[in-house]
Amino acid sequence: GNGGDGPTGPAAPGRAQVFSTVVDTFLEKLVTAGSYQRFASCYRCFYKLQPQLTRSIYDQFISQLQSSIKEEIQEVKNEGNLEGLFNSLDKIVEEAKDRAEPAWRPSGIPEEDVRSALVPYLLKHRSYLRKVLREKEEENKKVAKSVLAGRDRIAELQQLIQARKQAWQ
Amino acid sequence: MSVDPMAYEAQFFGFTPQTCMLRVYIAFQDYLFEMMLVVEGVILKKLDAIPGCQISPSQIRKCTEKFLLFMKDHFDKLFGRMEEVLLQLVLNIPKNVLLPEDRVHEQYPYSKEEFQALQEELQQLQQQCRAEAAAGEALRAELEEQKAVMGELEKILQCFNGLENICREHGTGNFKESFAFLTQNSKKLQDALKEVEEKSKKMEQRDENA
Repeated sequence: GNGGDGPTGPAAPGRAQVFSTVVDTFLEKLVTAGSYQRFASCYRCFYKLQPQLTRSIYDQFISQLQSSIKEEIQEVKNEGNLEGLFNSLDKIVEEAKDRAEPAWRPSGIPEEDVRSALVPYLLKHRSYLRKVLREKEEENKKVAKSVLAGRDRIAELQQLIQARKQAWQ
Repeated sequence: MSVDPMAYEAQFFGFTPQTCMLRVYIAFQDYLFEMMLVVEGVILKKLDAIPGCQISPSQIRKCTEKFLLFMKDHFDKLFGRMEEVLLQLVLNIPKNVLLPEDRVHEQYPYSKEEFQALQEELQQLQQQCRAEAAAGEALRAELEEQKAVMGELEKILQCFNGLENICREHGTGNFKESFAFLTQNSKKLQDALKEVEEKSKKMEQRDENA
């Protein structure tokens, strides 16, 4: 855990910590239940015959059981990257601590849920199109001006030519 | 009582918490059974090594079963408690928590109609863009045509300018006026000629009649 950092005192144990503690407690209690007394009592006939051997067999059994269980837990943690996931979940939960209302959950209907996921892309696309449209409109305005000026110029030239023609009649 | 499928947790962890717990339970249980078999095997072997032993393998089997039953009972209880804690405190996502990957759903809660409206707006914008592009093409095409036409007209003007320059250079004064005068004169001449022709025809006729 991250210990006591801040005026609020020691932080609550994170998920990873709770996980370890819970598993350790389970093992502890299991070992306590499966005590040597219980083992010897079940295997009384053999115990009477070989008490020391009974003890050593029991010790090996318990230690082997514990290490197998611990190994399995470690494998599960590694496969699923549980440490990392527990830590990020702790952070996410911490960030949401001031929020009381239930959060959004998938509706179970993919078409409904995918809509919201698409909206940001559509909005981006829309602002892009608006920009492009604006630019094209501006450009066309400029070109239209040139075209009108060109028409005027052509009319002017035609008039000049007419005048010259008349003068040569 | 409905069972919580813990689908949101599965989305986050990549597995359903209950499935994970079940897998672990089965694994632990397997180890327990395995260890017990090993214990029994060792005991039986040791018994074989003892000459004149009164204990039968079936007795040992009964001992094993007794111990195993006891262990399994505690094991199930303890595991049940562990599972409960893990599912409630560790492998769960509180109701008020939204996973970061799902933020869009709270940011953009668009209804079907709103979504459709947005799509239609996009279609319209695309059409407008196409229209503007076409208009732009037409304008630029006219601009090109204008260039060509202006070129021709300016050439013609140049011709006229050229003619006037020649006249000025060769000092024929106002060539235009002279040319225009000539054109008018030749017209007058033609009219005069016509008059003369008619008069001479009339005179000839009179002469003949006299």
